[in-house]
Amino acid sequence: MRADMQVAPLLSVDKLRVEFDTGGGKVVGVEDVSFSIWAGETLCVVGESGSGKSVTALSVMRLVEFGGGRIAQGRLNFARPDGAAIDLAGTGPALMRQLRGNEIGMIFQEPMTSLNPVFTIERQLTDGLRIHKGLTAEAARAKALDLLKSVRIAEPERMLRRYPHELSGGMRQRVVIAMAMACEPRLLIADEPTTALDVTIQAEILALIDRLKRENNMAVLFITHDMAVVAQMADRVAVMYRGKIIETGPVAEIFENPREDYTKALLAAVPKLGEMRGRAAPERMRIIGDETARADAALAERSAAPKAKPKPLLEVKHLTTRFPVKGGVFRRTVAQVHAVEDVSFTLNVGETLALVGESGCGKSSCGRSILRLIEPQSGDIWIGGREIRALDRHELRRARRDMQMVFQDPFASLNPYRRLADQVAEPMQNFGLATGRELQDRVAELFDRVRLPRSFLRRFPHELSGGQRQRVAIARALAVNPKLIIADEAVSALDVSVQAQVLNLMMELQADLGLSYLFISHDIAVVERVSHMVGVMYLGRIVELGPRAAVLENPRHSYTQALISAVPVADPRQKRLRDDLTFKPIPSPVHPVGYRPSASLYDEVAPGHFVLQG
Amino acid sequence: MKRFLSAKSLFGLGLVVLFVLIAVIAPLAVPADYATKMVMTARLHPPSFDHLLGTDQLGRDLFYRVILGARTSIMIAAAAVVMSVVIGLPLGMIAGYYGGVADNVLMRLVDTLLSFPALLLALTISAVLGPNLHNTIIAIGVAFTPYLARIIRGEVLRVAQMPYVEAARAAGTTDLQMMVRHVLPNIMPPVIVQATISLAFAILAEAGLSFLGLGTQPPSASWGLMIQASRDYLDVAPWTALVPGAAVALMVLGLNMFGDVLRDVLDPRTK
Amino acid sequence: MTYLLNRLMSLILTLLLISAITFGVTNILPGDVAMMIMGTQSNPEALAGLRESLHLNDPLIVQYGRWIGGMLTGDWGTSLIFKKPIAQLLEQKIMASALLVVMSMTVALVCAVPLGVWAAVHRDRWQDTASSGAALLGVSLPDFFWGIVMILLFARGLGWLPSSGFADPTENFWLAVRHALLPSLALGLGLMAHLTRMTRSTMTAILNQEFIRVARAKGLSERTVIWRYGLANAIGPVMTIAGLQIGYLFGSIIVMESLFNFTGMGWLTYQGLLNRDVPLIQASVFVIAAVVMLTNLVVDLLYLVIDPRIRLG
Repeated sequence: MRADMQVAPLLSVDKLRVEFDTGGGKVVGVEDVSFSIWAGETLCVVGESGSGKSVTALSVMRLVEFGGGRIAQGRLNFARPDGAAIDLAGTGPALMRQLRGNEIGMIFQEPMTSLNPVFTIERQLTDGLRIHKGLTAEAARAKALDLLKSVRIAEPERMLRRYPHELSGGMRQRVVIAMAMACEPRLLIADEPTTALDVTIQAEILALIDRLKRENNMAVLFITHDMAVVAQMADRVAVMYRGKIIETGPVAEIFENPREDYTKALLAAVPKLGEMRGRAAPERMRIIGDETARADAALAERSAAPKAKPKPLLEVKHLTTRFPVKGGVFRRTVAQVHAVEDVSFTLNVGETLALVGESGCGKSSCGRSILRLIEPQSGDIWIGGREIRALDRHELRRARRDMQMVFQDPFASLNPYRRLADQVAEPMQNFGLATGRELQDRVAELFDRVRLPRSFLRRFPHELSGGQRQRVAIARALAVNPKLIIADEAVSALDVSVQAQVLNLMMELQADLGLSYLFISHDIAVVERVSHMVGVMYLGRIVELGPRAAVLENPRHSYTQALISAVPVADPRQKRLRDDLTFKPIPSPVHPVGYRPSASLYDEVAPGHFVLQG
Repeated sequence: MKRFLSAKSLFGLGLVVLFVLIAVIAPLAVPADYATKMVMTARLHPPSFDHLLGTDQLGRDLFYRVILGARTSIMIAAAAVVMSVVIGLPLGMIAGYYGGVADNVLMRLVDTLLSFPALLLALTISAVLGPNLHNTIIAIGVAFTPYLARIIRGEVLRVAQMPYVEAARAAGTTDLQMMVRHVLPNIMPPVIVQATISLAFAILAEAGLSFLGLGTQPPSASWGLMIQASRDYLDVAPWTALVPGAAVALMVLGLNMFGDVLRDVLDPRTK
Repeated sequence: MTYLLNRLMSLILTLLLISAITFGVTNILPGDVAMMIMGTQSNPEALAGLRESLHLNDPLIVQYGRWIGGMLTGDWGTSLIFKKPIAQLLEQKIMASALLVVMSMTVALVCAVPLGVWAAVHRDRWQDTASSGAALLGVSLPDFFWGIVMILLFARGLGWLPSSGFADPTENFWLAVRHALLPSLALGLGLMAHLTRMTRSTMTAILNQEFIRVARAKGLSERTVIWRYGLANAIGPVMTIAGLQIGYLFGSIIVMESLFNFTGMGWLTYQGLLNRDVPLIQASVFVIAAVVMLTNLVVDLLYLVIDPRIRLG
């Protein structure tokens, strides 16, 4: 029991039930949700998609009504500054408007759409102040400048005159936080505020929210799906599952001694950066209630067996891909995006090479260039002794049998109008690998392989969950017996428990079929778990490349170091939030036509561990 | 599916089906001369038991003429829309799928054509070719083609960047197979929506053309032609204009309502 | 600057294309101007002579070049039915039609924007059903039907306004407005219905955006959220859609002017079409298409002023 629990909570939610009116009747959003939050603490509400955590947050603001929801039951007791408590669930719209933005501030998930695109930052920062505090234009402006300084925005005067589209995602989120903080709210609700951001920006924003909390003795209701973020941010945690809170407690207790099976499973499935220290080969994700032990042993046995000698499958040399930026009447190329710039690496048979980096670093373009889904400008791509760039259209089509791709978005990677069996059969039909009965059997076997019931054969994609669709996408990629699979953020859109299952499937397939993966990801904790080799990408180049242990445990390039230091670790004892992290912003990869970048030159700091010079 | 069966869509669909049935069945069920028989003693009679919707300036029964007109109007509108889809689909698909020079040239042409008001373009083509039933179809069909080509191109562009298209390409699917298996099925819903709405516009366009004497010609019966004939008798016999006008309105209303619901249900962008 | 230069080059290219399409469409017909002047039953030798003097035996491309050259030097040819220089005819008529179009657009926008916003705000409630239903009915009626209703109601029934006729706005502006009132109301109603639907769907999409939620979370009143935050974002798209409707209006004036005997640009074009007055058709079709294209260009440029994303991007 905490000492300050004697004090009355700032907000206490009691048996909240929210219903949504859909055309077909009432749907319960959340049910029997109760929690309290005190001044000066962060309560993290954590859950997977659809668990009702956002509905809970919106209910406190009474914004849920604008989305068709209704508070059907329960009390939301909120302590006013004078000490009197009011029930937000029964508060009239006029008083509610006085509270919103004034005593309760809120930050949303999408910084790119959180700001009104046609108004200046000044207008959006000051309108709350003018309404709630009755400030004059000048006074509000002065306060706005202070706010921008407090969220560490350089040149606040200039910022006031800007429009949202001129700012990066991280900058926008800072402005949104400044907006929410404008009237010094006593409760800040943050609904997945960093989910859409890159990991370095995420670290900055998390540190910022944490500092503002401490400085203002503010209560923070922090909604997230990410256990690592919870470990970094929370004082106390509430775990939500299917519209209910199933477990509440101090952060250390939840992480070290979870009571509920669901919490245990959730925590087990989260990879913790650093936990692979000293392990030789990739390991399966932990899934509670899985026949893990047996498979684990088998996998370990196979990967521990000393390989005869690593045989290269894919060799990429000086790969460069640029996109034209067109303009003018005749659509001439006026500039170029240097997406991939002099990239070289080797991927061995049966191994996984991960390309990690933040959005826009060129990792996806690199994967697509290898398949020539986009045409590289220069460089060599050797796969199994064949030079991909030298092939003509027909040869390329045949060569693609050796390399397949799995994409990020499980909802977009399958054609919504074709049966699953047809989609998995298509690659085999294209190459005439099987027909008739044989084709059907092969498709059914592929479904078995990816652990999908054969009853799914006749179904359409919309009947499946995200994880199931990703399995179909893997089955489709396997259909032509490829040697290489390029997995482009293949598990990023999935909930953590599903992600663990799909990753295990991929590792199993690697062990059984000797597949090689080019694993493109932004999630360094996952990468640590699954890969043999890691390449860190920044501005189109690989800045550091080497065995997983060397790169992640002993990073030598300053960017790799920054990136790894920014990753939140799913362990509350390893708090990494420090005041005011600031990382160097990433420069633009757009250059005028004719711009000649320097070649990528590397130092070999250890055998096989390369670091970009300069 | 629930939304698809809403009152609005059923009402809209009901209207459309009713008119189409009338257009198809009426000529078989009703003796041909009911609609063309001129009774000089019964000119401009208001609606009555003998003539449910009244008679026109030549004493012809308006109820039967509206039924006869349905056939002409719907046939012209449908043929024109089919024509614009048949031309617009390959153009839009080639422009959207292959891009490059073909796309630039085609879309520049389409954009320019869109500067010509559709009705003006149709009127001009009809006047130049000589107004008759076939040329009315051609005129409306040509005038609507740029709109369809533009929408189809946009849809192809949207579909072509989907991961399932990239995955299929990586799996060795050829361009032709790609268009048939992946692009076409996925652009069809918005194209069907657009075709439904175009059908409504085509009914209006046909009425406009015939009203101006540059569409179907007497003695055939079309709704626009009936309204044109009524112009000189507005004072004494307003029903001669209101009856065919209401027929146009109901048909177009039905198509629009159905199109609205189709769009809500089919168009992925509104989801 | 580069942007404007690009737009200007693109404009010239488009005007050339418009003229080529106009010329092409009017030359697909069997028979030619000579036949139209002299009739189909005329003496073949006289016909041939006339063809020669009108240069109709030259290749099409040469004829096109001559036509363009004439247009550029102010010689727009002579109307076959009015026996007057076409430039002079168009000059007289275009102002009246411009008045008609501007009046209809004003009527439509003034009613459609509030109505569409109102419907979007009360989505799926009776306010929405009522205004969207009315708008749906509105887009389903042909314009000339509205015209007939107007005539029956205001001119014949109530006798308030003239049902036909025309006055030159450059001579007597208010009389011209009076004559234009009924046709522009008739045109405006259909347009209003269309714009109401468009405003509703634009506004519905905007009200679902995150920044609207953020505005509410700041404690702003619903009025501010909708009419400031929401509408400011809708103006651009609605304006673009309204601009595109200029084309539709210029098509509809042909019907409406002939219904109301309003002798403007649409009426003139119609006379040309009815009598196959090819020089007149070419000139007026070209002018209408060019005006439509230019209006859309102006709207695009206005958008540039309104929307900071494009202005500074």
